[in-house]
Amino acid sequence: MSHAFQFYATTLLVYLGVDVLSVWSLNLQYGMTGIYNFAWILFQSIGAYTAAVLTLGPSTANTGFQHFILGTSIPFPLPLLIAGAVAGVFSIPIGFVALRRLRADYEATVMLVISVVATLIVSNVQGMFNGTAGLSLIPEPLYTFLHVSTLSYSWLYVLFTAVVCGIVYIFVHRVTSSPLGRAMRAVRDNEAAAESLGKHVTSVRMFAFIFGNVIAGMSGALLVQFIGAWSPGAWFFVETLIILTAIIVGGTGNNGGVILGALLVPIVFNEATRYIPTSFAPAAIVDSVQWCVIGGLALAFLWFRPQGILPERRRRFPVPPEYAAMAAAGRYPPHDERGATGTPPVAVLASETES
Amino acid sequence: MLLANVVVPSIGFGIVTASILALAAVGFTLQFGVTNILNLAFGDVMTASAFVGYYVNQAGGDIAESILAAAVFGAVASWALNRCVFTPFVRRGTKLFGMVIVTLSVGTIVQNVLLGAFGADFFTFQGGLSTQYHVAGMTFSTLQLVIIAIGVVAMALLQLLLSRTKLGKAMRATSANPALARVSGISTDRVVDVAWLLSGAMCGLAGIVLVLNTTTFESTTGSSFLVVVIAAAMLGGVGRPAGAMVASVVIGVAMEVAATFITPTFKEVIAFGVLILVLLLRPQGLFGQASSVREVAA
Repeated sequence: MSHAFQFYATTLLVYLGVDVLSVWSLNLQYGMTGIYNFAWILFQSIGAYTAAVLTLGPSTANTGFQHFILGTSIPFPLPLLIAGAVAGVFSIPIGFVALRRLRADYEATVMLVISVVATLIVSNVQGMFNGTAGLSLIPEPLYTFLHVSTLSYSWLYVLFTAVVCGIVYIFVHRVTSSPLGRAMRAVRDNEAAAESLGKHVTSVRMFAFIFGNVIAGMSGALLVQFIGAWSPGAWFFVETLIILTAIIVGGTGNNGGVILGALLVPIVFNEATRYIPTSFAPAAIVDSVQWCVIGGLALAFLWFRPQGILPERRRRFPVPPEYAAMAAAGRYPPHDERGATGTPPVAVLASETES
Repeated sequence: MLLANVVVPSIGFGIVTASILALAAVGFTLQFGVTNILNLAFGDVMTASAFVGYYVNQAGGDIAESILAAAVFGAVASWALNRCVFTPFVRRGTKLFGMVIVTLSVGTIVQNVLLGAFGADFFTFQGGLSTQYHVAGMTFSTLQLVIIAIGVVAMALLQLLLSRTKLGKAMRATSANPALARVSGISTDRVVDVAWLLSGAMCGLAGIVLVLNTTTFESTTGSSFLVVVIAAAMLGGVGRPAGAMVASVVIGVAMEVAATFITPTFKEVIAFGVLILVLLLRPQGLFGQASSVREVAA
């Protein structure tokens, strides 16, 4: 493989890793718990900015051409972990405002407004994260320590990204397959029923919100330490739509399915538009085409296949002993065509007693 | 004299902003109240209408013709979007949040088609009508007086329509309970069509007066304004046109007065601060009642 191609491949692979973390993070919130986090990109960027200011050193470095707060330089991998923690801490006040039992569309709108206003503040407070110009020259972790070529370093970073993805997957899988994960899906499918069964709806939603945002923050840190720059242009609120579309395309609520979404939407479709011949469309148009493709994909999937390419697996539970006879007669569960998010168990029992 | 030199003139700006905001917020909230679809494509239809007005003006039309063209375009475009995209999705069973994604996707597509078609340039709208008038310590240009007049007249007409006509009654009934309205013999389909047309006309008007007031605009002008529109609509209690009118005045004046004390770029942050306060203290808005409706009316 030529060097240029290897650089391209490593970049895409790191992007893929970051996008996979992103879809897991938002899927925990939107897909599993039904939190309409339109401010998702804000948490990724909190992580990115945190990692940036924790590695850039004091603001006066590099002749002080950029201004930012907290400039320091702490050893790897602390910036990555602190980035996740900071995103988690910021989730608490935001969750307190936005997760207050609002209607689904209000909740989404409040999140969206929070995201837009955060962009406004960061763009206009020059001293915080260098305003609209953003931060650049963010050092790559351990680069000077490792003494390897740029290309080998890129491959090492791909490996590191894969390791982070693996560790995060263990956590995500543990949570979603635990009783807590079941409570999250119960809250998503029927808040009132979940509450009537003694689940503390607000705590469950807050947990999913914080946990998801910690992953979002780490994904931002991972991305920014690779690309070396971050500015308000990178996290305008519509960026959340890309991750949301990836989840819808892959399969809402399915940790495996959304990986496919992360591969298809931000990587394949966004990269494909890059190859539109410039004689056919000038560079400025390619960007708008990308956004039209994202919007079109979201619409097409919501219309033709709202459950996504790899839908959430319908969960099966062992047949309770009192239904053993029915199960032997092939009448359990009573309505086999029920969707994965269909009738809650309470209603199944109710319909059983009626008939 | 801080009051006379700074605060009073900024209230003048505030009244102009409030008039623009009221057109948009009332249009937004009216359609939302009747159809229960939260239309995030609203801001981008505003921009598209502004482009229509701009090109009518470029082709030799005067300001009145531009404004009329923008309003007609806004009405037709909103109605068509509902008929061709939103209603089919609702009929197919797309739920509240699904519809938010649908409208946001449509808005993103509209905005990027505009960007692709007209480029990432700033457009300058030479409106003329710049004679200055001094009213009670505030300074207005003819154009700004026209904007205020459009806002006031539109609000008055809408209020009359909603409170005094059979159509208005039907709209309020559909907004309160679509199923009950239907069994009471109201053609809710027709009411929904009218709501989109009216809301679209106000969207178009808001778009054109917004760019007439700021003179320069680009393909993202409408969508950035949408945040303030949403703040005003939520402050007034979503689906409540009268509430949105009052909220627009509050937010419009608060934004412009605040802009004279802190940097003008933080105007929207003020609107947002008001919104957060409202959500914490009174989630249903100043004039709203707690809504129990959780699904979309089609």
